[in-house]
Amino acid sequence: MTAQLTTELAGPPPSPGIFDELSKREIRRAMLSGIAIPGYQVPFGSREMPVARGWGSGGLQATLSLVGEDSRLKVIDQGEDAGVNASNLRRLVAAHAGCTEETDTRSADIIQSRHRIPEQPLRDGQVLVLQVPGAEPLAGIVRDMDEQRRMHAEADYSKMWVRLYEDIVHNGLITEAAGYPVLVEGRYIMTPSPIPRWDVPKMNDSEAITVLSAGREKRIFAVPPHTRVVPLTFDDRPFEVERTPGAACRLCGSQDTYIVQEPGPDGTFSAWVCSDTDFCRRRRTGDAPAAPAAGGTAQGGTA
Amino acid sequence: MTSPQHTAPPPAPPAGVPAGSVLSVRALRKDFTLHTIDGRVVDALNGVDLDVAPGEHVALAGTSGAGKSTLLRCVYRTYLSGGGAIWFRTSGGHLVDVATLSDAEIVGLRGREFGYVSQFLRPQPRRSVLDIVSSAGVARGMAREAARDAAAAALRQVDIAERLWDMHATVLSGGQKQRVNIAAGTIAPPRLLLLDEPVSALDPANRAAVLDLIARLEETGTAVLSVFHDLDAIERLATRVVVLGRGRVVATGRPGDILRDPNLPLEVAR
Amino acid sequence: MSSTTVAPPRWALKAEGLGRIYGVQGPESLDGTGPDFGTAVSPATGAVVAAWDIGFEVEPGEALGIIGESGSGKSTVMRCIAGDETATAGRIALRGVGHGAVNIRELDPPARRKLRLDQIAVVYQDPAAGLNLDVTAGGNIADPLTAAGWRSYQRIRDRAADLLRRVEVPLSRMDDLARTFSGGMRQRVQIARALANEPPVLLLDEPTTGLDASVAAGVLDLLRTLLEETGVAAVVVSHDFGVIDMLTRRVVVMRHGRIVESGLTDQLLEDPQHPYSQQLVAAARG
Repeated sequence: MTAQLTTELAGPPPSPGIFDELSKREIRRAMLSGIAIPGYQVPFGSREMPVARGWGSGGLQATLSLVGEDSRLKVIDQGEDAGVNASNLRRLVAAHAGCTEETDTRSADIIQSRHRIPEQPLRDGQVLVLQVPGAEPLAGIVRDMDEQRRMHAEADYSKMWVRLYEDIVHNGLITEAAGYPVLVEGRYIMTPSPIPRWDVPKMNDSEAITVLSAGREKRIFAVPPHTRVVPLTFDDRPFEVERTPGAACRLCGSQDTYIVQEPGPDGTFSAWVCSDTDFCRRRRTGDAPAAPAAGGTAQGGTA
Repeated sequence: MTSPQHTAPPPAPPAGVPAGSVLSVRALRKDFTLHTIDGRVVDALNGVDLDVAPGEHVALAGTSGAGKSTLLRCVYRTYLSGGGAIWFRTSGGHLVDVATLSDAEIVGLRGREFGYVSQFLRPQPRRSVLDIVSSAGVARGMAREAARDAAAAALRQVDIAERLWDMHATVLSGGQKQRVNIAAGTIAPPRLLLLDEPVSALDPANRAAVLDLIARLEETGTAVLSVFHDLDAIERLATRVVVLGRGRVVATGRPGDILRDPNLPLEVAR
Repeated sequence: MSSTTVAPPRWALKAEGLGRIYGVQGPESLDGTGPDFGTAVSPATGAVVAAWDIGFEVEPGEALGIIGESGSGKSTVMRCIAGDETATAGRIALRGVGHGAVNIRELDPPARRKLRLDQIAVVYQDPAAGLNLDVTAGGNIADPLTAAGWRSYQRIRDRAADLLRRVEVPLSRMDDLARTFSGGMRQRVQIARALANEPPVLLLDEPTTGLDASVAAGVLDLLRTLLEETGVAAVVVSHDFGVIDMLTRRVVVMRHGRIVESGLTDQLLEDPQHPYSQQLVAAARG
């Protein structure tokens, strides 16, 4: 009886190599806790992965815990499916779980990403797994981790507001670029991982589940569907996304996507291209809604 | 704790406190225990009885060390009494014992009902003349604007030039300070005014102006208890003189009678 | 809350039987301590009775002084009221919390810290304890404002400018780091910050100690004016009779963790009763 129960609990026999079923179960529990308390950082026992910590080990563990044989998995690095790191991670998971590799955002069940949220609005049933290099939004404000935990527990975020205030005083605006701090469901301040500001509004009231996983810091947090995710800013200083007036993707001509400058042959940065390669491909083949007559274009750093 | 901190209402006044009096001192004692000098005890008051009615001016007389200033300070509660009672009838008609009232209640009384002018009173540092006088009025319930107007009038009356009004009182001469104190003590006339040698530092002209000011207070019903260095002032202002000797009342009567009595221990040669 | 309405007390702050013992709690630690024994250290248990049986009330618009030498327990009392330390005995009540019916000593730490938002503010002797020196003067004031929910940058700026004007800090320095300010100016910024949310209770711990005499005088003048204008209930902790005389009307004298005398400030200066108070006054008079 006990033996049978243990077998059932353990699930299907472990795939060789990377990740055992009990570890996946622990991660799923952490994810469920995170979904239950949106924006709250849940500690978990981060395992050694065949990628170095800081190279998506947290995201990989989350993806491995979610993926099944019939899943379609998309992995992007800065919006690109074909990046070395993204390709390796995608192949690694597919080999482990027997799932299907996918690049079309619309067809993917699980999207693991480093530093981007796809342009294609996510739908109900999808899970976005974001790789998180630094989970703690208060890290740059107070060093003491007990104090950070206390501040979260008591929603004592005035020091974060002071930082934004000081930023405006010194620079005329809030300079925070990637990983702009957000308030989740009116309660916890969260870093949305180093996505550009352009992507931050996509987290608000999303149809999909967003899971953020930091392997090195051993923390998982999540944003369930239809959750309020509000970038922190003062009432009279509206949150603004990156824009470069007049710039457009040299491949698809989009002015309403997040674009980055690509290096030319001489090493200087000149032309703009979409950061989201899948969406850019669809625009070029007429498989995506046309660009609205936009007044400006998203502008990022260099890819 | 050695100082009285009574929060209960004071005991019922004993028989013998006149219905009309503002101040009735009964069997008041005061001694000083000097712990820094081997616990030596110095007697100051040995059972003083005294009444002051509204509009009445009672002057204390007696030789130096007779206990005149001590009595004033006990009434103001700068000194803690060692026995007896100091009945004060508030403008609300309540009889309270100043000797045993709580500190907080004394703070309230001082603001609303007591005026105290002393040659020894140090003006608060770095505070303007007009501010000192008008805040005394505010403490006695005047609106801030009205208090400023009244303060201006009071300062003119004691001949403090307008160009001094925004200066810190500490930089004024002794006589000017004294007049500022008088203005603060008499603005919005208090129910009880305690005067400890208020004209001693003044030249003749200012002395006369201040004495005029005090004389007019009788009309407002203010009860005055005073110590004057010079007998002329007593003769002119007091309705009654109480002579103290060794901490007791040795004589009381009309100024004309008392001041001419060669047998009484008065401080200044007649 | 019951349906019966409790009339609010006159006082804004009340302490009753307040005690703080480091070490063994309980009566056995009290024997042999206090001014009569010349020590705060229990001969039986070695516990330090830093404060015991401390009681007073402070009304709005009133300032109470606590005077004593270092080690007398006066700062311990202040820290216990502020919530920087937890008293081990007694009762602390604020009119602003349940009409004074709540013993805030028994609140849990988060609830206690929340009181520092809008109920109790503290000005520390060391500005570094009350300010973030790596933040601008305005930012230091923005801290309590944002904690109280202010979310308009311009309104925060306006409020900070108002407060800095009140404490006589030039507005041209509003955007300078607190670190670049002189001691007296830092203290003024700390005072502005303390007043930001108009707390009904203000605790001042040796607010001018460590400043040059002329600078201290300016800060004292400012405090006196603010205490008169704001109607705040203040507790002024100091070893300096000059400070107590200038800011307070009532005072308690502490020694070896106990109150040895309490009275009107001028009475305590002119007619001190307790041998220790007489000693203190004699020393102050030079």
